Amino acid sequence: MQISVIVALTLLVLTAFGFLIGRRRALAARGASGGRLHSLPNYYGYYIALWTGGPALIVLALYGAMGAGLVNTLAMTQLEREAAPLIAEFERQLDNDAAYRALLAQAADAELDAMEAREAIALARDAGLDPQDFQSELARQTTRLTETGAQLDARRGEIVRDVAARAPSTDAGIRARAGFEYWISPNERRELFLADARAIAFGAGLASRNTPELRAAALAMRPVEDVFRYSAAGLALALAVGGLAWARSRVRGAFRARNRVEAVISGLLMLASVIAILTTLGIVFSLLFESLRFFAAIDWRLHEFLLGLQWSPQIAIRADQIGQSGAFGAVPLFAGTALITLIAMLVAVPVGLFSAIYMSEYATPRVRAVAKPVLEVLAGVPTVVYGFFALLTVGPFLRDAALFLGYEDAVTQSALSAGLVMGVMIIPFISSLSDDVINAVPQTLRDGAYAMGATKSEAIRHVVLPAALPGVVGAILLGMSRAIGETMIVVMAAGQGANLTANPLESVTTITVQIVTLLTGDQEFDSSKTLAAFALGLVLFTLTLMLNIIALRVVQRFRERYE
Amino acid sequence: MAHDTHPAPSTVYHPAPPGMDTKIAARDLTVRYGGALALDRVHIDMPGRAVTACIGPSGCGKSTFLRCINRMNDTIDTARVTGSIRIDGEEVNDRSIDPVLLRARVGMVFQKPNPFPKSIYENVAYGPRIHGLAAGKDELDAIVETSLTKAGLWKEVADRLHQPGTSLSGGQQQRLVIARAIAVNPEVILMDEPCSALDPIATARIEELIDELRENYALIIVTHSMAQAARVSQMTAFFHLGALVEYGPTEEIFTNPRDQRTQDYITGRFG
Amino acid sequence: MNRPASIRSAVEARLARRHRSEQRFRFFGVAAISLAVAFLALLVGSIIIQSIPALTTWRVTLDVELERSLIDPRGDMSEASLRRGGYSAAIQTALRRQFPDMETREELRDLFGLYSAVNAARLLNQVVENPSLVGQTVSFTFPIDDAANLYLQGATVRESTAPGPAPLLVTPGEDETVTLAADIAVFDAFMDEARAVARARVRELEQRASRAEAALSEAIDRDIRAVYESEARRARTAAGQLLERLDEGAALVLDAQTPSLLIKAGGAVIRVTEISADRAQAAGEIVISGDAPGGLMADWTLWTLETPQAGRRVSDRQIILTDALRERGLAQSGFNTELFTYADSREPEIAGVLGALIGSVLTMFVTMLLAVPIGVGAAIYLEEFAPKNRITDFIEVNINNLAAVPSIVFGLLGLAVFINTFGMPRSAPIVGGVVLALMTLPTVIISSRAALKAVPPSIREAALGVGASKTQAVFHHVLPLAAPGILTGSIIGLAQALGETAPLLMIGMVAFIADAPTLGLSGFTEPSTVMPVQIFLWSSAAERAFEARTAAAILVLLILMMSLNAVAIYLRRRFERRW
Repeated sequence: MQISVIVALTLLVLTAFGFLIGRRRALAARGASGGRLHSLPNYYGYYIALWTGGPALIVLALYGAMGAGLVNTLAMTQLEREAAPLIAEFERQLDNDAAYRALLAQAADAELDAMEAREAIALARDAGLDPQDFQSELARQTTRLTETGAQLDARRGEIVRDVAARAPSTDAGIRARAGFEYWISPNERRELFLADARAIAFGAGLASRNTPELRAAALAMRPVEDVFRYSAAGLALALAVGGLAWARSRVRGAFRARNRVEAVISGLLMLASVIAILTTLGIVFSLLFESLRFFAAIDWRLHEFLLGLQWSPQIAIRADQIGQSGAFGAVPLFAGTALITLIAMLVAVPVGLFSAIYMSEYATPRVRAVAKPVLEVLAGVPTVVYGFFALLTVGPFLRDAALFLGYEDAVTQSALSAGLVMGVMIIPFISSLSDDVINAVPQTLRDGAYAMGATKSEAIRHVVLPAALPGVVGAILLGMSRAIGETMIVVMAAGQGANLTANPLESVTTITVQIVTLLTGDQEFDSSKTLAAFALGLVLFTLTLMLNIIALRVVQRFRERYE
Repeated sequence: MAHDTHPAPSTVYHPAPPGMDTKIAARDLTVRYGGALALDRVHIDMPGRAVTACIGPSGCGKSTFLRCINRMNDTIDTARVTGSIRIDGEEVNDRSIDPVLLRARVGMVFQKPNPFPKSIYENVAYGPRIHGLAAGKDELDAIVETSLTKAGLWKEVADRLHQPGTSLSGGQQQRLVIARAIAVNPEVILMDEPCSALDPIATARIEELIDELRENYALIIVTHSMAQAARVSQMTAFFHLGALVEYGPTEEIFTNPRDQRTQDYITGRFG
Repeated sequence: MNRPASIRSAVEARLARRHRSEQRFRFFGVAAISLAVAFLALLVGSIIIQSIPALTTWRVTLDVELERSLIDPRGDMSEASLRRGGYSAAIQTALRRQFPDMETREELRDLFGLYSAVNAARLLNQVVENPSLVGQTVSFTFPIDDAANLYLQGATVRESTAPGPAPLLVTPGEDETVTLAADIAVFDAFMDEARAVARARVRELEQRASRAEAALSEAIDRDIRAVYESEARRARTAAGQLLERLDEGAALVLDAQTPSLLIKAGGAVIRVTEISADRAQAAGEIVISGDAPGGLMADWTLWTLETPQAGRRVSDRQIILTDALRERGLAQSGFNTELFTYADSREPEIAGVLGALIGSVLTMFVTMLLAVPIGVGAAIYLEEFAPKNRITDFIEVNINNLAAVPSIVFGLLGLAVFINTFGMPRSAPIVGGVVLALMTLPTVIISSRAALKAVPPSIREAALGVGASKTQAVFHHVLPLAAPGILTGSIIGLAQALGETAPLLMIGMVAFIADAPTLGLSGFTEPSTVMPVQIFLWSSAAERAFEARTAAAILVLLILMMSLNAVAIYLRRRFERRW
């Protein structure tokens, strides 16, 4: 700890020193030759300071970001290697333990039953029935699952203790035991183990336990850490001194210090703009990579994913069912997304477009002063609020209205309520974009129409709108892309049932809802369920990206025409 | 002409020459944009079946005057028009006059050619369509053809009537716009610097057209070019700082102006 | 060719129709705007109305005796000993002292149901902080259970009271039972009411049964069929039982399916269990004995709970107890400060937004720290330095597209890259902040570029003209002039991030977290949640009381976002410059 403080302080001093030296040298150069400096004296200071602090800082940052991880990995791999015999023994015992295998089967059973109960709850809700029985069944199965899990852990613990006990209590034995304990632990326990070991080794923070194994791990870490720490500190200081000397030697009156400093600044600025590209790349690669793993898990039956009519990912929970036909057929999700998007656009396009027309062509400044903020506020309301509104106000109202009109199967969570509210959310989006394009239509076109004796609405319908059409289409496409990608409203208000239906009063599910369903809650990252979420994400990203590109291009063309 | 509020502008008023019927008559026509006075008590009589040119330096009110005749100033929120302007004795500024009907009678051509985002055919057919002037497709075809012919564009576009109007050259677009204006058979055609965005050859073509149209319509043309005014017009009105300074037969204005300001303007001392 | 007269008549003939269509068109415009305004009014109005019950809360104040042997079981006054004390028992004792009538298990369960056990932890903390309280009697205030609170707010139970129309003879029987008799049919109104409610309930039950039967005919799965069957059977049986009681000539037995009738006289409360057919006699049980009811009572009150017990979460007894607490001045209503001083909880009455607020602050801090400098830097580069070539064109297209990528995709990115690849902690504000920063970045870049673009080139030319370098011109002259616009855009971007939910669900900020994260450096890696996610979590909670709390949390979030936007608008107005 102390060494890093010393290094940091030294670096700071060196950097400040570099700045002063640069300034001084620059002033001296001016005084000596009586000539002119290329740049202001401060720039010479900045230049040297940059070379002193910059590279050293990068080294320290790299060490800070990755040092601890590297030390842990190096130390623990060594210990795990020493624990190899114990690990082999443990695996052999686990495989041959009848009790353990029985418990595993029991857990799988309970899990399956719980899944079924969960599905039944959803079904009962949709049918307007009291899901209480299923809920108690679910609770029963969950308890069973936890109990079995606890028994499993206990049995496994017994085996672990048994195996660990075989290692001798010599130094080597304890080291092997440490490696074994680390190997056997799940991820979060490993983190705790490492944190404790580090606490013991370097006195940073308080260790929650203090066992011989931890002490052994700490002992293994210390030399590795020392090597890293001292070499990082040495490297940083050497770079700082070297940079200082080198930069100082370059400073003369005619030296273009400002240009060098500015090059660094513009380099940093460029780096900032590259982050946007890195984000896109990150999105594309992470989606693609995980999706490929998912497709591999379903044996590359892509057509079943894209064209299958049955979406019930819960069924595929057991390993032997992963590739089963129909479990991951995403058509109901696509249909649900399309239905809700359609409803949303049916609300948003007329209201948004007419609002835009009214605002840009008819409204007095006073009306604009009221209506524009209202639309802006609508645009600023968080989607979770819209979801709540759909769930508790619009949904029940629509259900009651449908019941009143004699439609018996009405439910609260329906495509209609989600679509309606989503439409409201998109109104400001369409109206503000359309407002922009309508305002961009040159006044001479309107004048031409008025001069022909057209009424205001005729001028708008016959001349302004056709001229603004590409822009309006772009706005609608962007609105659609928004509707497709919108998550919270549908999660809260559209329901969960993967119904393949065109009836807006039924509950449907969408791509985004299923992504959320698959990824919230505790499950392993590698299960085909979570991977399926990424495949859905890829579909969503591709779909919206295509819409966005087309829309942006159309709008771009429109702007070029009139600007 | 006595005004209590401030002195009358020193308008040199020429009545229409004898033998010419008065088509448009303005009395005390005043226009304000917000607080700014754009046109100050204009008093003028303009003939039918002739070309009247309005000249004057930028911001002198000549375009504002033009826009009074078909009430295009209505589209500007801040514009306030007072006084009287009559076409064939009928008050234009009267509340009971529907601007839609007025504009069907008074066509207008703008500085920049502004064909609608439609085909050439639809551009010309637009007026007859909205006003319901053609009983059927055949009649509409006939109107389009006569209008394009009158505008001297028929030969050039007869085989591509259904291409967009914007695909034509600038000069052609301006003639298309003129054809669009005459398709509803107006009584008056207003032209607001119709050639300022065109090259000399296209300008010559339009000027020829203006001369031909004179036989059937009353044309009022605002122009920056005194040469153009001299070439195409029979009557000329000179505006300065919102006031009508001098009005009379073109020849007279250009050869023997009575007002010093007119003299200075046409000899190029300012403007 | 020239035929002005005919043209004029032709135009005039169509004028009226054209003006009507103009009016219609204009009306559509007005209707669209009004619709948008109405939607907003409805949205905000419904949320405000729904939040009203959560703005106030009822609290019970009791004198709790902290008996030494109970609170300090080891007797050494050490913290460890104090932490093992029976605080729940102390509160229970205090409650029992108020209602000595509560003796059976069932009665006690109802009584103790009025407070949630978490309150004992608060008492514990008070004592640990101030051990001198041991052995004393302290006045302890706790929020009443959410179901009772909703009753007190009049939200869940329809009730009415009426003075007894004629003197009532109360004859105590065995075991707290009593018989009631009057000369006239004092229970007339109630009987009619109860039968009407029962008939409505029968209809409802029959509907449910037939719906279950319909579903049964379509269901295939064996387990699901079983549930539908039992549901149908249960509804039919209940309907049948109710129907029997509808017989006008018979006595009415009151149970969970019928409205309840309570009789209040003096301090005593009697719960009626059966009413005779002549509507003048009844049997009941004493819930609170008060001054031992008996004899002929002239001054008594008929207290009808119209909502049947089956339709509410508070039992008759709890209502009686709660009402007694209110009458004795022990339960009082006040502004719901718990909403702001507590983190999340499973018990609605002590669930607050504090944890989510702190989580939002931490997350927004990270977002701001990343999105603003990077976004402004990128904007400066693209607007001022970048050469016009394919690469910068690509960056530009890329940024515009990124702005329209669904937010949930950023969540997937965060999950795959930051959590699974870089191993950053789940549910932590730091990851949430990074994800939201990436999401906000395009907004900040686009608005900053617009602000830079609005600075006229003459400023740059002037600076360059006096010999400043490009960088100097930008940083000394252009950037200060564009700063208000950049700031406004950044604030609007942050406000957007503040309301974002979906990407945070992906990175696990949706977990139930009962402790508010530390408002400091270590808080960035602690599991936490943020305001919009808290709203999402509460909106799916089962307890009805969470509904109002959700609406109240939404109000808090909306006020936060509005104030951010107001700051942005103020900055824009204050510093806006037009060239």
